Amino acid sequence: MSGAPASFPGAGNRIITRSFDGSWADLGRLDLPAASAVLVRDNHDAARAVWTAATDGLELLVASRTRVTDDLAQSLRDSGLAVVDGDSVAAPTSERAAVPGRIWLLTSGSTGRPKQVAHTLGSLTTVAGDQPRRTWLCPYAHGAYAWWQVVTLGIAHPGQDILFIEPDELETWPARALQVGVTAASGTPTFWRQALYRDPDSVAALPLEQVTLGGEPVDQAILTRLTEMFPAARVSWIYASSEAGASIAVHDGLAGFPESWLGQESAGRATLTVDDGELLIASPKRGEGIDTVLRTGDRVEVVDGRVLITGRIASDEINVGGAKASASNVRDVLQAHPAVAWAAVRGRKAPIVGSIVTADVVLSGEATVADLTEWCSARLPDYAVPRRVRFLDQIPIKETLKSDV
Amino acid sequence: MTALSRDAIRTMMAEVLQAQGKAMPVDDGANLEQIGFRSLDFSELALRVEDEIGEELNFDAPELRQIATISDVLDFLEQLQAA
Repeated sequence: MSGAPASFPGAGNRIITRSFDGSWADLGRLDLPAASAVLVRDNHDAARAVWTAATDGLELLVASRTRVTDDLAQSLRDSGLAVVDGDSVAAPTSERAAVPGRIWLLTSGSTGRPKQVAHTLGSLTTVAGDQPRRTWLCPYAHGAYAWWQVVTLGIAHPGQDILFIEPDELETWPARALQVGVTAASGTPTFWRQALYRDPDSVAALPLEQVTLGGEPVDQAILTRLTEMFPAARVSWIYASSEAGASIAVHDGLAGFPESWLGQESAGRATLTVDDGELLIASPKRGEGIDTVLRTGDRVEVVDGRVLITGRIASDEINVGGAKASASNVRDVLQAHPAVAWAAVRGRKAPIVGSIVTADVVLSGEATVADLTEWCSARLPDYAVPRRVRFLDQIPIKETLKSDV
Repeated sequence: MTALSRDAIRTMMAEVLQAQGKAMPVDDGANLEQIGFRSLDFSELALRVEDEIGEELNFDAPELRQIATISDVLDFLEQLQAA
């Protein structure tokens, strides 16, 4: 910790990337303009940009080079950011004063076109109080909200080391994590399903004390699997987004959160409500300019005293001849089958009934289409039982660690 | 596009029924309502045909008419492939 700025208690924490092993303070600095979007090749680039901006009080956006198209780069310049790509710096096309400490995040946006959400290191730092010493796995895409959550944890709290994983290391990370001594890991349900499908023995060998899931609806099947695999670990799921901030953290190993949390107001915590089946969040950690009470677009249902977040409202409903099937509900039923490692459900245009329910499935054991049909028929209304089932060899995963289904 | 034969469509229809725990009668004059072949089953059969021939069927092409028997279903899907 010697030489670490007092405002960054984690400056002496160890961070490990593919090309670096040292502390934040040892990273070295980049020569950055006062307001910049840094297109990074890897987590070493990204961490250096963060450390430079944090210690110099710069305005910063971090994004993978692969994510930023020419159009997006132009819109970033139009918004007053210099676009830094290696040694190349494209000046902003609009003049404005930099906002010291401003952190920009890119979200996918409702139209698919990325939009910028404003934060600060403070609003992105969502963990408070003394934390047990841990070495975290950070597999998230550079600059994503979840990535920033791990990064700010590492900067703000002593004893929080981080192993960063690049997108092309997603198949081999357990060995690297074991070698480095990872004790805490955070990922999407798709990330965990893929890891358990590909190499469950290597994952099980990790001495994990904390397992975290987020970024997608978290179902009971994956929570149970991880709880059984890591009986000594705390298994948590988190609801967080660039807009809403980190708003829900559940540590009891169960899907959903207690219904009693709805409407509760408490200083420093998000207030959660439900309106017409949609989750509404008022969070002190929300992005700047975001509605105080944010309509999340996420569908919820209350089952046995738990509020389950099942999926996106816009893409969840499949109209089968006038009957409404829930894609997320069907997916959860499929994923609860003991031989199913992963499933994605969607509607497919069909004559007469408009659309029918179809499923892509990755098996971890023996099952036939007839087996899955029988399983679903016992648990779902007739119209919601998938009529077309396709078996895939691999769990599809995007750089966001999501399946985007 | 390679059109499916009437026999191939018939086999697929039997598979759709079988998946629902129902049997395909030998008589193509059998009434759909009586054998429990519903609109959802018809939709599934149409998608099976689409997947097999690799093309989307154009349901606007043929004249709409009553489909009451197995034979009607087979006629209709044969006609759609030719449309």
